[in-house]
Amino acid sequence: MKEIEVALIGNPNVGKSLIFNNLTGGRAHVGNWPGKTVEKKEGRCIHKGVTMRIIDLPGVYSLTAASIDELIARSYIVEERPDVVVDIVDASNLERNLYLTLQLLELEANLVIALNKSDIAEGLGYEIDVKGLSELLGVPVVPTIATVKVGMEELKDAIVEASKRGVKAKVRYREDIEELIERIGDILKRDENLTKKYPARWLAIKIIEGDGEVMRLIEERGLIEELREVIG
Amino acid sequence: MRMPLGLAPENRVVRVVEVRGGRGLIRRLSELGFLKGEWVRVLKSGPSGPALVEVKGSRIALGRGVLMRIIVECVPP
Repeated sequence: MKEIEVALIGNPNVGKSLIFNNLTGGRAHVGNWPGKTVEKKEGRCIHKGVTMRIIDLPGVYSLTAASIDELIARSYIVEERPDVVVDIVDASNLERNLYLTLQLLELEANLVIALNKSDIAEGLGYEIDVKGLSELLGVPVVPTIATVKVGMEELKDAIVEASKRGVKAKVRYREDIEELIERIGDILKRDENLTKKYPARWLAIKIIEGDGEVMRLIEERGLIEELREVIG
Repeated sequence: MRMPLGLAPENRVVRVVEVRGGRGLIRRLSELGFLKGEWVRVLKSGPSGPALVEVKGSRIALGRGVLMRIIVECVPP
């Protein structure tokens, strides 16, 4: 039987653990991320003949690698390349939550968005255009209410479907930035081992941002001199 | 009236006018929601140590050093 790897991510307090428990039936194997004292939860779920290995990532506001949880979440998505990443978004607090979504799109993760706490959003009078949001972001969006298990079957369907389809969404920036991303990307692609492991476009964006972790990596690979000519 | 967030009274909604820090701190705080113009509220604070602040629907604990670098405007009630 086919097995796919699914990572759950989201801001703190969006109901991530609840969705994890709903999907896995609460039969989680709890351990630690190697070398870090951050809990790692793993469980399984079988849906329509597909076995999903579900990994609960730490709750984070961003993927800048500023704290140990962020670094774990980011390394996991970049290096392990799970088949599907479920971004759990608090529908009652979209503005804050979509920042992480954007970073996941930059990472070229195969995203499915669970629009959780849909009932609370509705109670606040929010009317979310789910279809419009999905079209704008280029990824499937499934409204859920984890506390009463609403939307769980639809979420599983979307995960299985996404695993078959692969990544298609991409974030586009202003033309001059896109040009810079391309020029940096060309230099990075000379190091095949590097771009096999990390998406070149993502690395290029992080280099423009001056991301500490990525800059260290670039230095290790001896690419920094060539890049200086482009980024100054 | 302007003051550092570390001196703002509890339970008063105040507005961020400036983050006095380097690129790294400004970026980190903006990711947590502390952007210029954002309304925030100190939930629990004291004369020293960290304080609990509500921003964009989340509760975030900040250390004293960082609290003193976020400048807020207190609108009279």
